[in-house]
Amino acid sequence: MVSARVIRNLKTEFRNSALAKIGLVLVVGILVTAAFAPFIAPHDPTEQQLDQSELPPLGFSETTERTTSQMVDGEIQTVTETVEVTPDAAHPLGTDSLGRDMLSRIVYGARTSLVVGVLGTLLAGLVGVPVGLFAGYHRGNVDDVLMRIADVSLAFPSLVLAVALIGLWGRAAVNVPDPFVVAGLAPGMPESFVLPITVVLVVGLVNWVWFARVARGEALSLRGQEYVKASRALGADDTAIIWNHVLPNAITPIIVLGTVQVAAIILLESSLSFLGFSGTTLSWGFDIAQGRDYISSGQWWIASLPGLAIMFSVIGINLLGDWLRDSLDPGIEGEGGAA
Amino acid sequence: MSFGRFVLKRSLQGLGVVWGVVTVVFALRFVTPGSAINAVAPLDADQETRQAIAAELGLDQPLYVQYGQYVSDLLRGDMGFSYIRGQEVAGLVFARLPATVELALAASVVAIVLSIPLGVLSATRRNEPVDYGATLLSLGGISTPNFWLGIMLILVFAVEFDVFNTSGRGVDVGDVALSLIGAEPFVGTLLAWLAYITLPAIALGTYFMALITRLTRSGMLDELSKGYVQAAQAKGLPQTLVRYKHALRNTLIPVITVLGLQLGTLIGGAVITEAVFSWPGLGTLVIESINTRDWPVLQGSLIVIGTSFVFVNVLVDAVYAYLDPQVVND
Repeated sequence: MVSARVIRNLKTEFRNSALAKIGLVLVVGILVTAAFAPFIAPHDPTEQQLDQSELPPLGFSETTERTTSQMVDGEIQTVTETVEVTPDAAHPLGTDSLGRDMLSRIVYGARTSLVVGVLGTLLAGLVGVPVGLFAGYHRGNVDDVLMRIADVSLAFPSLVLAVALIGLWGRAAVNVPDPFVVAGLAPGMPESFVLPITVVLVVGLVNWVWFARVARGEALSLRGQEYVKASRALGADDTAIIWNHVLPNAITPIIVLGTVQVAAIILLESSLSFLGFSGTTLSWGFDIAQGRDYISSGQWWIASLPGLAIMFSVIGINLLGDWLRDSLDPGIEGEGGAA
Repeated sequence: MSFGRFVLKRSLQGLGVVWGVVTVVFALRFVTPGSAINAVAPLDADQETRQAIAAELGLDQPLYVQYGQYVSDLLRGDMGFSYIRGQEVAGLVFARLPATVELALAASVVAIVLSIPLGVLSATRRNEPVDYGATLLSLGGISTPNFWLGIMLILVFAVEFDVFNTSGRGVDVGDVALSLIGAEPFVGTLLAWLAYITLPAIALGTYFMALITRLTRSGMLDELSKGYVQAAQAKGLPQTLVRYKHALRNTLIPVITVLGLQLGTLIGGAVITEAVFSWPGLGTLVIESINTRDWPVLQGSLIVIGTSFVFVNVLVDAVYAYLDPQVVND
């Protein structure tokens, strides 16, 4: 549990590790970006300005070929001319093929990634941890059945299982009103956030097994402890023992796994939206898929920038995970599910 | 327990998991919205065709009869028929499998060849620049989405420099092997193969390169601090012998297990890498079959993917037991 010793370890490790500091800065940055997206984004991320399309980021200019129809000597002719496209300070990271502001899309994409990452991890933990603790504590048939289910579940790669389930279930999404916009604090921004609910369910369901495995392992080693035996002798029922004694002592590796899982689920979500299996179009993976068609014609930024956003988010979370692991329990190995 | 009995026991457990995989995949046809027939018949099939297909598949039979039929068909290598493609599923899936295996193996080679020396170097020169470099590289590697890395590789090496091909699979690795015995000019065939496989293999292999570097580094640090290493050093054994024969060997044993477990990630990564590079493997088949709602092909692909995972893991456990005989007695 969170004791004074744990907090002291966290502080010491944090002071000594430059990587932990970088991780914290990155994660806080993404949290703030996601939470206050309507104030940070300069434009509505879904607003299309076709006359402003394919503008490069500040500092870069791009020559491109434009084909237009013109009247030449009384005839309509198509004229291809090479034009220089210069950046516009109103769009610091440029615009995509439909003239949507890249910076605003990246800022809003942080919401999708984080919400899916955190909700998916919570769901996976809420399913996996109780099942794992119960199986590890009781052993016997329950445990055997659980481990076989886990084996079967692991035989399907997360991504493959996720695309299969979304393919079967469809891509449902719900609109969650944005409190800042509803309150009139951020005029001109989208009024609601599109939560891809099927994606959350699916990423939770394909990753619960990692939590079950870790929780089971902890419960197996804790069930023989003196204090657990003592409670049992005093007549405490199993649920109470698992809740009061096993869970608090198993929580450290579960928290460390949870951090790694948020990163893994963010990667998984971006893969799903890249492949078109998402319920929202405001996602880093979706933008990379859009930008992919433009890399051979010179608009490199549309696909590149959202990928950098994914990379830095996941690096931040992984660094935070390393910090937690190193300070909470030096004995835990860094292994766990990935996309 | 003898080594043979251990392998037999793991193989039987593996068969149990394969049975579970088959059962889950069988159940998938009932998860589809609507009746099971929607999962098999083409969307535009009329009522009469639907009934004919349903009767042929035994969908009017009790569930346990359908299940028995499904399993016995599979045992005979019959994975059903894709009415959308008008082809046998088994033929389709096994035609695509070699390309995926080739890509996965090439990615593993990229990963292993780079990661183990890097991990060892990082551990033996702890807190030196090479260690920081390797740590940053592996941190970036486990945090980069492989599809994006693939697109960036295309951007640099195909669009800017035009060195590699970015779409499809040129010659397969079998052609390269044949050219060794003089069927085709060897160098030309090898280059033609490399032109297509290099970028996808790097895109897919980078995550594993990073992961193995991290595992090798932490494993080596752990081993190097152990008593037997210090004893060997005190005895005056050469540093390289102690490091590479003793410590590295013990480091690699757990690395192999993690790799077995991560095989799912490798196959999942292959699915998306294939999508980026239009690689004609199982991954593109899975995506195509979902987009066209071709469930029999999806089911067949899932069975092959799940079974390969189990097969490789049994193999990994056997190698593990061979390298570390203590495992057999646990």
